[in-house]
Amino acid sequence: MTTSDSAAAGIVVEGVSRAFGEVKAVRAASFTAAAGTVTGLIGPNGSGKTTLMLMLASLLKPDAGHIKIAGFDPTVDTAAVRSRLGWMPDVLGSWSALTVRSTLQYTGRLYRQDRQTAAQRASELIDLVGLEALADSPTRVLSRGQKQKLSLARALVHDPAVLLLDEPASGLDPAARVELRTLVRRVASEGKTVLISSHVLAELDEMADSAVYLANGVTASKESVARARTGVRAWRIKSTDGAGLVRALNGAGFASDTLTQERGEVMVPLASEAEASALLATLVTGGVPINTFAPAVGDLEQTFLGLNAGDNS
Amino acid sequence: MSAFFTGIGVIVSLELRQRVRTVAWYVLIGVFVALVALVTLLLSIAFGGFGAENSGGAIFSAIIYFVLLLGTLVAPALSGNAINGDRDAGTLATTQVTLVTTWQLILGKFLAAWVTALAFLAAAVPFLIYAALDGGISATAIIVSVLVLAFELGVVAAIGVGLSGILSRPLFSVAVSYLVVAALSVGTLIAFLLGGLAVQSDVRSTTTYAISYSPAGEPERCGPPQTTTYPVPRFDYFWGVLVANPYVLLADAVPTAYSAEGYPTDLFGNIKLGVRQAQLAPELTMTYNECSSDFYGSDFEIPREIVERTTPGWFVGVVIHLVLAVGALVYAWSRTRTPAAQLARGSRVA
Repeated sequence: MTTSDSAAAGIVVEGVSRAFGEVKAVRAASFTAAAGTVTGLIGPNGSGKTTLMLMLASLLKPDAGHIKIAGFDPTVDTAAVRSRLGWMPDVLGSWSALTVRSTLQYTGRLYRQDRQTAAQRASELIDLVGLEALADSPTRVLSRGQKQKLSLARALVHDPAVLLLDEPASGLDPAARVELRTLVRRVASEGKTVLISSHVLAELDEMADSAVYLANGVTASKESVARARTGVRAWRIKSTDGAGLVRALNGAGFASDTLTQERGEVMVPLASEAEASALLATLVTGGVPINTFAPAVGDLEQTFLGLNAGDNS
Repeated sequence: MSAFFTGIGVIVSLELRQRVRTVAWYVLIGVFVALVALVTLLLSIAFGGFGAENSGGAIFSAIIYFVLLLGTLVAPALSGNAINGDRDAGTLATTQVTLVTTWQLILGKFLAAWVTALAFLAAAVPFLIYAALDGGISATAIIVSVLVLAFELGVVAAIGVGLSGILSRPLFSVAVSYLVVAALSVGTLIAFLLGGLAVQSDVRSTTTYAISYSPAGEPERCGPPQTTTYPVPRFDYFWGVLVANPYVLLADAVPTAYSAEGYPTDLFGNIKLGVRQAQLAPELTMTYNECSSDFYGSDFEIPREIVERTTPGWFVGVVIHLVLAVGALVYAWSRTRTPAAQLARGSRVA
């Protein structure tokens, strides 16, 4: 195996599998997430994302395969992994009788921080995730989105080198999502490794440098990802002159039955980005007033749908 | 090593703040204090007021038993969902990914549950002091009974925390904790009684009555001996069951104070006497002969002698309870350990 230093400092997963009785939740997962990058973990419901996350979080032992978190094996050097790993679970649990501040202080104390450090870190994190107004309220009064923020702050208490976020964006309002994105990018820019699982692929598209696709407990190979990525995808074109646009498209060789029109936009199937560039140039030089020309689905979604289509065929 | 205890301390403090220190808890302690006050008052009246002979020992032992009763009734409710309740609330896994070890987690939860049960003992202290000042109970008896009571509350706390780590459903583990407490407190008693009654021996009683008397009223001539047989229960085979009973264990462990006539002066002593008497095998041949010289000879033994010549069983009970408590905690540890290799059917790590 050839791993660069940055991958060794991040997450390395090799041939990991885990079954619960008869159910094989994860069958063959292999990927690397390099330090300083954000990696998305993508897969349909029940594909084994959370099981994989639990194994990475040192809570579940893999039946086979190897995991390295910041260079340590969670089943062997559990404490070394835990001191470098922050985990935000998909289940939102909090000590309901404790305040936001004392929740973070206790978490710091559980990471062997002294009282003073834990108190100081709690204040920093409350500012970071924007829970100042609720800092001294018991956590049972928090809304779902506020609990998400608390959960994120809790994962950051010990300034971990590797951050695992399981569905961090669910329940967050648009403003909070933007904050989350900024925060995640900043953590990565500090040289840390971030692995995010999410269903909101558009969201991940903007955050993640790369993605791992998981289906039926198996990570998709580089080749199948590349194949799915290069498949035909729909592009969204909008013009103030709708009729003129359709005429120009027909002229460029796109028959009307290949086009889909919705809400004043036209969807055009294109095989590659080169083809898209060529079409845009044709339309603009043809004098069609274009105000939107973009892929209808993001890269990740395109790949995700492409892989699923490949599975079904 | 100090890092180990610091970690336990953090868990204890966390448990007490999250699980215990609620309004309902203070109300419960208040109700408990009111009940103990009532019991103390009624017993004082029953024994003839403050300063009456031996009343202090009786009141003291009654309060200790009352604390044991309420403590063992409340402790399973507070400890029986310590681990699986956290799993349900989604706070167990987030604690387990920190640097706290599984043993620190389990011991911290156990200590918190124990401290909570001991709060009942602490709340009863003013009444215990009142009873001790009333006299009639020795310093050793006070120390031993309080220590054994604290130990028993610890056993119940450990069983509750242990079962909450072994069983996945909180409701079920609380119920099983209660069943274990009931099995020890009541079950042993039922087993003892039913066992004794089921195994019976026949007593052969030979009676010889006088048929004529001298003018002075002495029997002169006796008739032929008449033999009858009747069954008696054999509690002496089953007394061992009672050593695991916390109430019996407590009574058996406390050094007994006797009155001048050799009778126990407190509840502990009376229970101890009752249990020790059960060790004695019944006499299976009885002879009653009016013409014999030992007709009036009775083999009555004073209680003090019975207690002194029978076997104390409390330390066996202590060992049994210790094995149960430690066993429950170790099993819970093996079920809660992460990274987890095996999970119970239908349960999740997080």
